[in-house]
Amino acid sequence: MLPSDVDRNPMMRISSQSVVPRDITDEFTQASSKLRTGQLVKDEYFTLFEAVGALEIMDSKMDSGYLGPGENDAQALEDDYDTTRELAPEQVLGVMDELLCHEMAWHMGHPLSQTVFTSLYLDKLLWPVPKSIEDAHFCRPRSSENKEEPALVNLVLRAYCLALIKCCDFVHARVTTEYYYEEEDFVTQLYNRSLLSQFDHEYFCNLLDRAISWLDEQGDSINEKVKEAIRCRLLFRREFFLALDQDIDVLESRSTDHFSFCLSQQALLTESTPLGVPVPESFSWKIQRKLASTIPPRPVVKISFEDALAHLKRLCQDAIDLMEVLHYRGPHNLKAAVWTLLSRKPQPSVYIRSLIQTMIVNNMTVLGSVSVKQFLYDELAELVLPSSTLLLANKDETEVPSDPRFQIANHMDLFVKRFAQPFVDTFRSACLNRCRIRRTVCHTLVEWDNLQMEAEDLDEQLRTLNSEPPLMLQNGDATYSYPLSSWAYHQKLNQFRLIIQLGFELSIYSPEELPGMYWYLSHICSTHLGHIDRIRTFIVATAKRNLTALAGKKREAVERHASLQNSLRLLERLTTQIVAVDAFAIALHALYVLLARHNILPTASSAQAYSSERLRYELRMKPFIPITLPELVPYEEYRREAILEGDSDEIVLERATKAISEARKAWEATLANGPFIRETQSQANPAPAIDEDWKKDIRNTMRACIGASIAIETVKKALAARGSSKNASTGVNLTVSIPEMGSKLRWHDWWIVPQVSQSQEPSKA
Amino acid sequence: MNENQAVKYLESLIGQTVRVHATDTRIFVGSFKCTDSARNIILANTYEYRFPSSSAVQDAATKAENQDSQTTTESQNFKVNMTSRFIGLVVVPGQHIMKIELEETPQQSRVRETLRKP
Repeated sequence: MLPSDVDRNPMMRISSQSVVPRDITDEFTQASSKLRTGQLVKDEYFTLFEAVGALEIMDSKMDSGYLGPGENDAQALEDDYDTTRELAPEQVLGVMDELLCHEMAWHMGHPLSQTVFTSLYLDKLLWPVPKSIEDAHFCRPRSSENKEEPALVNLVLRAYCLALIKCCDFVHARVTTEYYYEEEDFVTQLYNRSLLSQFDHEYFCNLLDRAISWLDEQGDSINEKVKEAIRCRLLFRREFFLALDQDIDVLESRSTDHFSFCLSQQALLTESTPLGVPVPESFSWKIQRKLASTIPPRPVVKISFEDALAHLKRLCQDAIDLMEVLHYRGPHNLKAAVWTLLSRKPQPSVYIRSLIQTMIVNNMTVLGSVSVKQFLYDELAELVLPSSTLLLANKDETEVPSDPRFQIANHMDLFVKRFAQPFVDTFRSACLNRCRIRRTVCHTLVEWDNLQMEAEDLDEQLRTLNSEPPLMLQNGDATYSYPLSSWAYHQKLNQFRLIIQLGFELSIYSPEELPGMYWYLSHICSTHLGHIDRIRTFIVATAKRNLTALAGKKREAVERHASLQNSLRLLERLTTQIVAVDAFAIALHALYVLLARHNILPTASSAQAYSSERLRYELRMKPFIPITLPELVPYEEYRREAILEGDSDEIVLERATKAISEARKAWEATLANGPFIRETQSQANPAPAIDEDWKKDIRNTMRACIGASIAIETVKKALAARGSSKNASTGVNLTVSIPEMGSKLRWHDWWIVPQVSQSQEPSKA
Repeated sequence: MNENQAVKYLESLIGQTVRVHATDTRIFVGSFKCTDSARNIILANTYEYRFPSSSAVQDAATKAENQDSQTTTESQNFKVNMTSRFIGLVVVPGQHIMKIELEETPQQSRVRETLRKP
């Protein structure tokens, strides 16, 4: 992954004092007037393309510093708003809630200049840059006397504002340390303002506490309800502040108290917001004129309080459920947990996604407790190398370079060096936004193809070092397990499947491509199943060899037996899941073939379109073209398979019916298996929320299965009706629609089940 | 000055730091990139400078007065910085340009002076 592109502006223009300006107006004007119309004098590296991005000065749409006719400096820049004025408690409440809306809008991906930085209160606190935290108050730049009067504004609102800015600082710091996409996920631009990052967090908490106790001391001067509402906001802000301050320390503390408290305040916040009176004049887009910004002025972003709270609620809930990911129970379980949490709809916010990225790996440690090497070894032990000597070799114990164990350790170190990062990245890439996940996986696929080849070399060297016994095939050939490259291939096939399935989720394929893409998905699945069978064969052979030792009841042998069985169970689990995907893909493929044959499948391209099936195939296979294994399916073969050439409608129908019932069984079995490998059955479920999400996802898939079988039945009946009417020239009396992403009838993102229904009017030719 | 000389002269300015005064009194300081017959000017890495607002001047004045009263000096002068901000790549249309200045180091101006002498 490429590091995020952070646009950092120079803080101040640097120029030496001795620079002398010389008036060249006349010379310049004279010279430029000599140029012909259309003639340019320009820097040879300066392109027209760049020039298009230039802001046009004195153009009100482009120039944020432009003052309209009649606007004078004072109105334009200062705004007439007096931040020291007294506010009614209801107004303070209104300002607080509007600020929260702006804060959440920023979390959602809008720039600070159009959200939080439109507040004149915040502007006053942040500019000029305060040297000490006491400097940041509303009475600047005038005398600092009576700083705390009126207290409702200068103590309560100020405490709230300062803590809010610091909250933004925490979020900003976390997001910028991880991979995110500027302007796609988040805008990190600070416009040459600082978010009080240099000040210690204690001050903010103290200030909030002081504000709360001041509020408590007020008698009947403030309406009880309004007072309670303000109090609730201060409390919420304090806990939200502490929650964000905790950040990755949660790996140590494992505490969700702060976020839980924030969540518990939601109802109170919603209830009391109507009590607030907005102060619209305390917000202004004109502040953009003072911000260092290379973009044209843009309007203030307005989101409703309900939307802001909904976003906040999800953020808190995701942060709480994130705790379930942190308990390390092997790479397989971690992958299931991370992927499930990040597939939530709507996707967890960029802060949560950045937080998970850091937790997955930070300082070469996974979840703050497991070294990257151990993590990789756990994965290998789970899948391809249960209780293998390869993973036990250690240079600390064998120091003689001629010892095979020393050499094995050397080779394995090489392997870790090369594979640890790409492997961890397969987890981290799940934290990107959905489009970027697919794009990233398309890129890493090529890397994994190379890695597989490197692993193959290592496998060959390791095989002689640990004198692996070959497996005899029926034709008498000897074959070896190639554990490392087998594992790399397994990873690659996972990525193939992900690319295709995310393609469905991201609405990349047009309806006419669906038969072909579902065929290709099933093709990848069957390749994968064959590969898992191969891995299984070798583990079974190892288990057989272990049986004699097991008979002797040696402790080592018993342990080895257990880990071999664990691997076999995991392989079985993977098989069930891939069979389920495979069968469902076959069923949908067959269904779509029938719809296409009878010309009732909607098409996105018109008859005169330049695109052809061959060109579309080339386009879809683009990520797979450079890959050596599995080999690319030639177009002719793909076409034959995709349209099921030579099979009659009856055969295709039969295929669909059989496959869909198999799919339903396999998905049921998958659901029964659950998302995680459990060490013991009696163990309490350590991840109930994620477990529930995962099950919901599988249930949705099963719903899609049922939808597909209904569609298949409908097609079957219609075809039978047409057959019995002995009038084959009439078209099939059906209408087909493809449910869009997000519609109710799209039961699952990855499974596009067509809606097939009887046409209202019989289509008589 | 013929066309050839004009082009040569303008090309000599490319990459140099130029101050462009706009009709609304703002000053744009950036690296000269491009111009045309209408005297439109493109500047890169530009900073916008604006004269301090009247209220800022007043604040400074009060401050200066306060200090004066304490130190009892006669001086009525005080300094207020122009406000500046980074705005990047800009084009200043020719009709909005009041004045163009070239930033030179004393050394550069000496070199120019010597070159001018026959």
